Amino acid sequence: MVDLPPDPISMTIAIMTSPLFLKIAIFPGLTSIGIIAAVLTWLDRKITARVQLRIGPQYVSPLGGILQSFADLIKLAFKELIIPEKADRFFFVLAPVFGLVLGAGLIGLIPFSPESLISNVEVGLPVFLAFVTLSPTLVLLAGWSANSKYPFIGGLRSLFQQTGYEIPLWLSSLGVVMMAGTFNLTKIIQAQSTGWFIIPQLLGAIIFLVTSVAEQERIPFDLPEAEPEIIMGWQAEYPGFLFLAAQGAGFVKLYAFSALFTTIYLGGYLGPGPLPPLFWSLFKTTIMVVLVILLRGAFGRVRLDQLLRYGWTLLLGLAIVNIGITYFLIVGFPTI
Amino acid sequence: MVAEGIPELVYYLGFVLVNTLALVLILILLVSPRDRKPTPEKRAPFESGQIAVGRGRTRFIIQYYPYLLMFVVYDVVAMFLFAWALNLRALGAAGTVPVFIFVTVLLVPLGYALHLANRPENW
Repeated sequence: MVDLPPDPISMTIAIMTSPLFLKIAIFPGLTSIGIIAAVLTWLDRKITARVQLRIGPQYVSPLGGILQSFADLIKLAFKELIIPEKADRFFFVLAPVFGLVLGAGLIGLIPFSPESLISNVEVGLPVFLAFVTLSPTLVLLAGWSANSKYPFIGGLRSLFQQTGYEIPLWLSSLGVVMMAGTFNLTKIIQAQSTGWFIIPQLLGAIIFLVTSVAEQERIPFDLPEAEPEIIMGWQAEYPGFLFLAAQGAGFVKLYAFSALFTTIYLGGYLGPGPLPPLFWSLFKTTIMVVLVILLRGAFGRVRLDQLLRYGWTLLLGLAIVNIGITYFLIVGFPTI
Repeated sequence: MVAEGIPELVYYLGFVLVNTLALVLILILLVSPRDRKPTPEKRAPFESGQIAVGRGRTRFIIQYYPYLLMFVVYDVVAMFLFAWALNLRALGAAGTVPVFIFVTVLLVPLGYALHLANRPENW
C-alpha cells in the first residue's frame, strides 16, 4: 500500500495518477477497449469489403473512413430508445450492457506486456473461459426479455450452440495447461520462452480457433444473429444505444479472444529484436484479428445441426486426441 | 528520459478527456429524443413488417434437447480434467491411469447418447 496524502484534492490526484488506476482507465483498460472496438468495427467492414471486391467505408476522414464507426457511434447515441411493448424492460436493458462489461473484464486478465497487465490472476485461463461461458446466457436473456419471435429464436440458438462448442473449447486449452503446468497467463507466456505452444499444440490451437470463433458468434457460426435468416436474431429489437452495446460487445470479445490466442499459443509479448514487448503482443493480436475477420469473408454459415454434430463428434474427439498426444509429449512415449 | 511527472500528467489529461467524453455521452443520452406518448404501432414487436401474431416466446424444436442433457454431464468432466492437468507432473502414472480410465468409461455412453440423439424417432 502507498501512503495517501491527507487532503482530499492531492489524495484524488494521487489515486488518479497511480499506475493501476491509469492501467484501468487508459491502457489496457477502458479507453483503449472503446477505441479498439470502434477501430475493429471499421476494420471488419473494410476487410470484408475488400474480400467481396467492394470499397467499404471511405467518406469519414481521409484515411479510408477510419472514423466511420465513431460517426456511427454518435448517430446511434442520438437515436430514440424504443423498448417493445411486452418486453421485460429491466433485463432488456441489462443484457447488452452487462455483455459489454463482461467483454471489458476479459481484457483485464490479458498480459499485454510485463507492465501493462491489470490483474495477474493465478487462475487466469479458467477465469477467462468462465466469463466467456456467461455470454450465451446473456444472449438468451436478451432474446427472452424482448418477448418477440426473432430475438427468442436467436437466444435459443445461442443456448444450443453453446453446448456444441463449449467442451471442445475448454479441452483444447487444456493442452496448454498441461504443457505449462499453470493457469496463470503470465506464467504460461514465460513457459513459452523456449518455444511457442503453437508448434506442439497445433491441433489444439486449430480447435481453439474454431471454437472461439463459434463463441464470438461470428460467421461461419453466427447462428444467433444470422442476418438473412432471423434478421439479427437476438439484436433485432434493440434500439440506438443498446444496439451499439450489443454490437460493441462482439468486437470487444473478438479483441479479447485474439489476445488470449496470442497469449497461450503465440508466446504473448515474447518476441525477437529490440522492439518492446507491447509491440509484439499487439502485432500478433492484430494478425489474429485479421485472420478471424477473413474467415467471415471466406465461409458460409453452418446449420445448427451441423455445428452440434461436428462439435460433439469431430471437435470433441480431436480435443481428446490432442490431450493424449500432449500427455505423451510431456511424459515421453512408453517403451515396450 | 523525459522530466519526472510528465508521463503521469499526459495520462491524467487523457483521463480527464475520457471523463469529459463520458459525461457528454451521458448528457446526449439524457437529451436524446424521447417520445412521451408512443403509438402502439411504434412499440409493437418487430416481425418483418407484418402485424405480430401469437406469443413472442415461441416453441423451439426439441430435436437438440439430448445435446443439452449431455452438456450438463460432460461439462463437469472437462472441469475434472483441468484439476488433473494442473498437477500432471506431480501425479505421475499413478494419478494419470485412473483419469484415462475415467475418460474412456465416460466416452462410451457419450457415443451411445450421440447415436440416440441423431435418430429422428427419439425426437
